[in-house]
Amino acid sequence: MIPLTAVLIATMVVADSASDILVSRAMKQIGEVTNFRPRALASTFGRMACNPSLIAGIGAAAIHFFVFLALLSFVGLSYVFPATALVYVLATAGAQFILTEHVSRRRWAGVCMVCAGVAMVSMS
Amino acid sequence: MKTTLFLAVAVIAQAAGNVCLSLGMRSLSTAPLFDFGSWTEVALAALSNPWLWSGAALLTLFTILFTLVLSWTDLSLAMPVVSVEIVINVALAGWLLGERVSSLHWAGTVMVAAGVAVVLGSSRDKPPPAALVLA
Repeated sequence: MIPLTAVLIATMVVADSASDILVSRAMKQIGEVTNFRPRALASTFGRMACNPSLIAGIGAAAIHFFVFLALLSFVGLSYVFPATALVYVLATAGAQFILTEHVSRRRWAGVCMVCAGVAMVSMS
Repeated sequence: MKTTLFLAVAVIAQAAGNVCLSLGMRSLSTAPLFDFGSWTEVALAALSNPWLWSGAALLTLFTILFTLVLSWTDLSLAMPVVSVEIVINVALAGWLLGERVSSLHWAGTVMVAAGVAVVLGSSRDKPPPAALVLA
């Protein structure tokens, strides 16, 4: 049987990655923001508030936050935090296969280095 | 250029926001956080704490800038780049907050910085020609 901690950590990592991917997809649907005047920005924020991907992304971020809090109630931060480094790998895979971004081998190497670095910082 | 500017401001806002939150929470730490009876008192103290308000404002600025950047930049580029915030946070924690930073912590920080440099270097990598992909 899979322990509850492992299930919650997996849920947290998947929710965080899904949030990044959904928000990115929403912003690509809305289009490049080029006008930063207050009225144009307000219009952009209005379109963002109606975008289903962005709403789902915020929902996923909320799930990530509450699962993170739930984990901290019975597991130490030093145990939970290194796992968050996996988000970089999962979100990059999502960017490549769901958002169809071109992710070169060099970029993958950099992402893996960031992931390893975050894990080292978290474990120290 | 626009991407660099937005991500640089976003990263600085996030790092400064985290330092503000850390300073704010330290000033609240005299109250026993796990004593449920004192939560109202802690919440009121938090609401009147300028460090916490500054931290929340800076992290909101980070979220807005990062979301705007995603409207024109790849997630696979922007996401690892904002992790450079870890490097700034470790430096600020060591020098500004006087926290002890271990050698493994510094090694991880250097690894993150090197990884971000590699990701930035990949920003001009071209996708392979369609013929090669199909072959």
